[in-house]
Amino acid sequence: MSNLNISTISKTFGSQQVLNNISLDIADRSFVALLGPSGCGKSTLLRLIAGLEHPNGGQIHLDGQDITRLPPERRDIALMFQSYALMPHMTVFENVRFPLRMKDSAPKSEQAEHVRNALAQVQLDSFADRYPRQLSGGQQQRVALARAIVAEPKVLLLDEPLSNLDARLREDMQVELKRLHRKLDLTTVFVTHDQTEALALADQVVLMNKGIIEQIDTPERMYARPRTVFAAKFIGAANVIEIELRDIAGERCGVLNDGTVLDPSPDVELPAGRYKFMLRQEAIIFNPKGKNTVRLEGTIETQNFLGSVTRSIIRIGNQKISAVTPAKNTPVDGSQVTFGWNLPDFLPLQD
Amino acid sequence: MVGGVPYGVKLLSVVLVAAIAIFMLVPLMVVIGSSVSASEFLVFPPRGLSLRWYGEVLQSDAYLSAAKTSVQLALVTVVVSVAIGTSAAIALTMFRFPGGSFLSALFLSPLILPSLIFAIGLLMVFSAYADGPSFTGLVVGHVVITLPYVIRTVSAALADMDPHLDEASRMMGASWWQRYLLVILPQCRTGMAAGAFFVFNISFDDAVVALFMRAPDVETLPMRIYSSLEFSPDPSVAAVSTIMIGITIVLVLVLNRVFGLARIM
Repeated sequence: MSNLNISTISKTFGSQQVLNNISLDIADRSFVALLGPSGCGKSTLLRLIAGLEHPNGGQIHLDGQDITRLPPERRDIALMFQSYALMPHMTVFENVRFPLRMKDSAPKSEQAEHVRNALAQVQLDSFADRYPRQLSGGQQQRVALARAIVAEPKVLLLDEPLSNLDARLREDMQVELKRLHRKLDLTTVFVTHDQTEALALADQVVLMNKGIIEQIDTPERMYARPRTVFAAKFIGAANVIEIELRDIAGERCGVLNDGTVLDPSPDVELPAGRYKFMLRQEAIIFNPKGKNTVRLEGTIETQNFLGSVTRSIIRIGNQKISAVTPAKNTPVDGSQVTFGWNLPDFLPLQD
Repeated sequence: MVGGVPYGVKLLSVVLVAAIAIFMLVPLMVVIGSSVSASEFLVFPPRGLSLRWYGEVLQSDAYLSAAKTSVQLALVTVVVSVAIGTSAAIALTMFRFPGGSFLSALFLSPLILPSLIFAIGLLMVFSAYADGPSFTGLVVGHVVITLPYVIRTVSAALADMDPHLDEASRMMGASWWQRYLLVILPQCRTGMAAGAFFVFNISFDDAVVALFMRAPDVETLPMRIYSSLEFSPDPSVAAVSTIMIGITIVLVLVLNRVFGLARIM
């Protein structure tokens, strides 16, 4: 069991409030992403969990034990640094054995067994005698991973685990991390600024912005139902469309900036006023049919062919809407088009 | 070559580089040349060819004991200077503390301050508070003038270190002394070696501090060479100097082989 409970944590550096009253429960064996732009406080939160920083207020509990003031080496939490922090003067084997050597009083042969197991987990068994500088970046990272799991910590923390790898290696490592998490059943928290990484790896995404948590959700829900304008823009690409809700002839209608009335009107119960709505690029349909479908006239202003899909920028009045549609069903650049979306795809956002 | 540089500028730079090389190498050539002279006097070009002055030097008690003193002095200075300099470099690069930048400037000041002034002060301090100049006094003087080199080379090595190494070892349960001994100190190795090389050379070569801190019973090799030149200028001086050049070259080659000079300088 390793439940991590973070309650009302605040952290300031000088006059700067980096974390503002954060509460977060991380369930046993979950894979959690702390996601946000740089400066949102996600790395500080990770360092607080690790014990490398101390909060100005609030508590952190691990399995019911208050660890807020516990030094890092007594928390049973391992951290893999973004730079890997491998000891350059030690072999792979010595690097991975280091935590055991520091903490464990087990005999050397038993430690060696643990080291070999950890190296096998990351498929580096045959590299034990090499030095870190003799390994590729991806291999160095797997050494760091083996070193983090060798002492069987209760919680594994990863700081930007994929940011130092090239694109192809990054995909391999995503698969690898997911496999390892499933196999070890280890509560894992990682920090990333890359939303695709968070969506691909985590089963729980914690979206942070300016020292607060914007939204906590599964990747699927986070993508489908972002609550705020920030979440909609940060997770995947989205159109944010401003409309006015007002009553026309006794009926609540959505009106675009240029006066176009949406038909049917958005399926929401909100008082009259101006609102921002999200519309995913891929939710747009050309030549829509059906009852619950909004239909509008516009012009394709520019188009980018992206292989399997095409991105079109559609102009309607002074509004630009970006659409991503299957390449073969997309009308040509410059043409007048009828387009629309299914009613449930048009979601109101909070500011 | 860089394109678009006028011909005159190119010519000037070639001439300058050649002139610098000549001024660096010619004095060495003259010294080495006169050391193999068969003549009784220090002259260039050499008259006749002979290794007799090398024989004289290697049999001279004055030179040998001066060399022994110089090597002892240089070795003690290396140990003390590298120990203090490495500790200072670790403290100055790894921690932020009040007065840190002042201390850093103070430690590096012997590079800028004329060593003559420092030597006079040192002499006065040792005359007032100790029994005048001594071997210990020379060690103190040499440690002060060599410290900046160790601090610079070790700081450079630490600057290359992964900044998270210390935190990572802490998270893995290393106590403070384990962090220093097993993690940080090994990262200083190349810097310490380069620093030790500088310290040895500067201490072995120093004439200014040694001149002021000259004690009756302590004579270093540079002092010996200086008095020989003053009182009996025969080619043995050149022979000693050539041996010193040779030792330096060997040291450089060894250091380059073990650590790679490009990495540490």
